[in-house]
Amino acid sequence: MRDSIKRIRTLAGRNVKEILRDPLSLIFMMGLPLFMEVLFFFIFHKLTAQFEIRYLAPGIAVFAQAFTTLFAGLLIALDRGTSFLTRLYVSKARSYEFIFGYTLSLLPVALVQSALFFLVGGLLDPSFWSVRFLWGILLCGVTSLLFIGLGILFGAMCSEKSVGGVSSAVIAGQSILSGMWFPTEGLGDGFLTALRVLPFKNATMLIQNAVNGYGDFVADMLCPLLIVLAYTAAAFALAIVVFQNKMKRA
Amino acid sequence: MEAIKTLDLCKEYPDTVAVKRLNLEIFEGELFALLGVNGAGKTTTIKMLTCLTRPSGGDAFVCGYSILRDAEKIKALIDVSMQETAIARNLTVAENIRFYAQLNGQSREEIDKTTAYLFDAFELGKVKDKRAASLSGGWQRKLSIALALVTHPKVLFLDEPTLGLDVIARREIWKTIRDLRKNMTIVLTTHYMEEVEALADRLGIMKDGELLFVGSREELYRKSGKESVEDAFIHVVGGGDLDA
Repeated sequence: MRDSIKRIRTLAGRNVKEILRDPLSLIFMMGLPLFMEVLFFFIFHKLTAQFEIRYLAPGIAVFAQAFTTLFAGLLIALDRGTSFLTRLYVSKARSYEFIFGYTLSLLPVALVQSALFFLVGGLLDPSFWSVRFLWGILLCGVTSLLFIGLGILFGAMCSEKSVGGVSSAVIAGQSILSGMWFPTEGLGDGFLTALRVLPFKNATMLIQNAVNGYGDFVADMLCPLLIVLAYTAAAFALAIVVFQNKMKRA
Repeated sequence: MEAIKTLDLCKEYPDTVAVKRLNLEIFEGELFALLGVNGAGKTTTIKMLTCLTRPSGGDAFVCGYSILRDAEKIKALIDVSMQETAIARNLTVAENIRFYAQLNGQSREEIDKTTAYLFDAFELGKVKDKRAASLSGGWQRKLSIALALVTHPKVLFLDEPTLGLDVIARREIWKTIRDLRKNMTIVLTTHYMEEVEALADRLGIMKDGELLFVGSREELYRKSGKESVEDAFIHVVGGGDLDA
């Protein structure tokens, strides 16, 4: 068990370096969402409630996490494509250690992301400051697992050429189906049902409610949390199956 | 004593038979070259011997352990450098070595010793702080092979170690492999006939999953009636006779 934890830490340490030393990952996971937060706040916050910082900052925090799907997927697909993973399969590491290694490397990134976007939100509008940020950051850790799980799944399934396209669908999904850029009231029943059953709006709503406070705990917190967790569990279960399968066929 | 012994080793996929009833012995301290055209079954054989792929039939023994039953014991005694350059791109050369040593459970002192040894053996010390992605193809391949030595394996598998390298880089890697052979058994697959002439003690020729010849270069020349590995190889894979 101790050896296993050591190996997971070693794998996670390597993955953190791989991701954070790639300037593109920093630009897309931190720079671009931060730019969007500031820009959309200044342009739109007086025009529509949608872009008030109390909605915008948590929405951006979850939107930025969607990029972890892309970069986790790219890292794993590249590791597979270059036989780096094949080399590691010959080591003592087990498949679950690889999964934990990739997950634990990205979890702190998600926590830093959310803290950064809440902090900047507080600077843009001091009335946004709240001790509930901590609750929001903690739950951002939970929602980030969904995107990390999807990244591991796509990285294990796709080639390094196709993983970008597949991951972009998640980024687009989080952008369009989160309901953060436009009001969802008045949209068709079918679209609203899709928003309710898919994890994207639920993840955004969960963080918005955590940071801003909520009325009904079950409807505003528990239901969205359970929906996000269900998708997360499914993503990880599939990722583990695909990863083990790939290990056997290395 | 045999470092590797295969007994009717087979690998079948739904649409093809990659390796057919392979019977082969490779002795301790030997540098054995496995030759074959693309799709001959060389890489599949290596993947089975390194416990990366389970055989469809037969068995093989590496350092006396069965690839079917003792995969963990075998993994502790071997390492492999696949034909693609397998390195962590955004880690420095030194970080790559430390990472792989840590993953294999080495202590801090062991890691320092391993790093010093590999810096010396592969002359990697001069690029130790460079990120792997910024190295030339030759240096990247050197690092990739060096990583396979981090675990101090008894048997080292090198799958086309000089594929795609220029002649200077290839010669440098040959020199390194020659130095390594003093301490371990090496199994090498290659497309380059001059590599076999420069390095191998014995060789095997595979075609369509079957082993057509095993022996020394001299035996190959004598049996094929040819005077170079290349001519003999073309003779054998072309279906020519091997007169005993």
